[in-house]
Amino acid sequence: MIKQKKVQWPWHVLTVLVLIGLAGALYYATSLMSYEWRWNRVPQYFAYQAEEAQRAAEHSTIIELVRKGDTAEVVLRGEDGKEQRVSVADNSLQWVEGDEVDEGDVIGVNRHWAAGPLLWGLWTTVWLSLVSGVLGLIIGLATGLCRLSNNPTLRDLSTLYVELVRGTPLLVQIFIFYFFIGTVLNLSREFAGIAALSLFTGAYVAEIIRSGVQSIARGQNEAARSLGLNGSQSMRYVVLPQAFKRVLPPLAGQFISLVKDTSLVSVIAITELLKSGREVITTSFSPFEILFCVAGLYLLINLPLSHFASRLERRLAQSD
Amino acid sequence: MIEVHELVKVFDTRGHIVRAVDNVSTTVAQGEVLVVIGPSGSGKSTFLRCLNGLEDFDSGSVSIDGLDLANPKTDVNAYRREVGMVFQHFNLFPHMTVLENLCLAQKVVRKRGKAEREAKARALLDKVGIGQKANEYPSRLSGGQQQRVAIARALAMEPKVMLFDEPTSALDPEMVGEVLDVMKTLAREGMTMVCVTHEMGFAREVANRVLFFDHGKLLEDSAPEDFFNSPKDLRAQAFLRQVL
Repeated sequence: MIKQKKVQWPWHVLTVLVLIGLAGALYYATSLMSYEWRWNRVPQYFAYQAEEAQRAAEHSTIIELVRKGDTAEVVLRGEDGKEQRVSVADNSLQWVEGDEVDEGDVIGVNRHWAAGPLLWGLWTTVWLSLVSGVLGLIIGLATGLCRLSNNPTLRDLSTLYVELVRGTPLLVQIFIFYFFIGTVLNLSREFAGIAALSLFTGAYVAEIIRSGVQSIARGQNEAARSLGLNGSQSMRYVVLPQAFKRVLPPLAGQFISLVKDTSLVSVIAITELLKSGREVITTSFSPFEILFCVAGLYLLINLPLSHFASRLERRLAQSD
Repeated sequence: MIEVHELVKVFDTRGHIVRAVDNVSTTVAQGEVLVVIGPSGSGKSTFLRCLNGLEDFDSGSVSIDGLDLANPKTDVNAYRREVGMVFQHFNLFPHMTVLENLCLAQKVVRKRGKAEREAKARALLDKVGIGQKANEYPSRLSGGQQQRVAIARALAMEPKVMLFDEPTSALDPEMVGEVLDVMKTLAREGMTMVCVTHEMGFAREVANRVLFFDHGKLLEDSAPEDFFNSPKDLRAQAFLRQVL
């Protein structure tokens, strides 16, 4: 049969139509339950103008007011002749020149941009993922090599660890770490959360590393050993670099999972992205918008991560 | 130089016991070229792998210049530095360029400086006729070229002995010649070599001695002209009738 070149673009158009249809169905469904979409409430939870009240230090008189653009420079003189200078946002100024103010009276406010709870939650999720990911990689590499070790004790212990961790839910592990180990050893909640996440990730990384090393043909190790390299040199220079290349896709998948799994530590009251979102929902009464934003922020972390992994994969593939 | 004394290697796969190398004794003198032949499964490859400790053995001894593999105090890594090995499937490191393949062990094991090891590598690549491929990855090379790189990689360690484990068996027929030519050059230069091979022409032309193995036993150990013209052992006669 002669190969026929098929036109692709109509199918992409169909894809877009399907997506539009789904979005329409979603909109229709929410309209049935008379949900009012208020996206305009969302941005303030990302960043907002924080106000910092400027107060008079003592009973004093406003002797001078200088307006410079948006800010107003206010000079107060107290009864003992001591001067106080404050600068406040012009449109928040409550007084005019000559007014008398008491100690503690608000002269005006200073405004500056501050990160809202969603951004703080995003930051917490990012650093939790980073720390747990790095620790998980180290634990996983060590455990994976122990699984392949000739020493029976190392092999037994690493197998036990992997099986225990993979056979129990992460949520249960987080509770055990926080309520049991955390109480016994007096750990902070962040420490307990990171410990649970990195041990969980470590077990999976160990299996990925082990399968990667085992997938490298035995001849590679034999060739290295025949050149006089010892076991660990052969592992480091010959086997692991090839294994790493091979396990990069599952490893990237594991780290993407980790980012998502950090949402579970919200149960021990670490205010990461999901918990921030839920707190925002209680004040904003806009659960759908906030949950969509939370989901979007997880995507914001994970899409670049998988993009980076596939680029690294392509770069390492140049020797094939 | 190499002394093998009553070497025994037993494979025990779930009670199924195979004496892969059965009480083999022989010696290899400096500069000698030995060709090991025999039907498949005769233990010739296992014998070769015992010579550099890639395969552990059950009893007997293997030594090179007094360094005895049977002695548990022997540093097997130090031993292997003196023994180069070339594999049937080349086993080049695919994540390294040809030059890096030749430099790795020089750097890690011999601790040679960058200039020294690269000069050595380039000289050896020129010698095996692929100097212009130094910066290619192995996957870009033909089988014959890869095997020549593998020979150069082993030579870079300046071994006292070279072991060849069916170096041409995985090659397309038109590439066998280029690899054998390199091996012949080495033999002429006085390299001590032990080659497991099915290349009877090479055995006739280059070997000082031919060892014939069957069922793990060393059945014949004779000069090539004697072996090919008047083999003493019945199984060797049957084998030669089939391959010649």
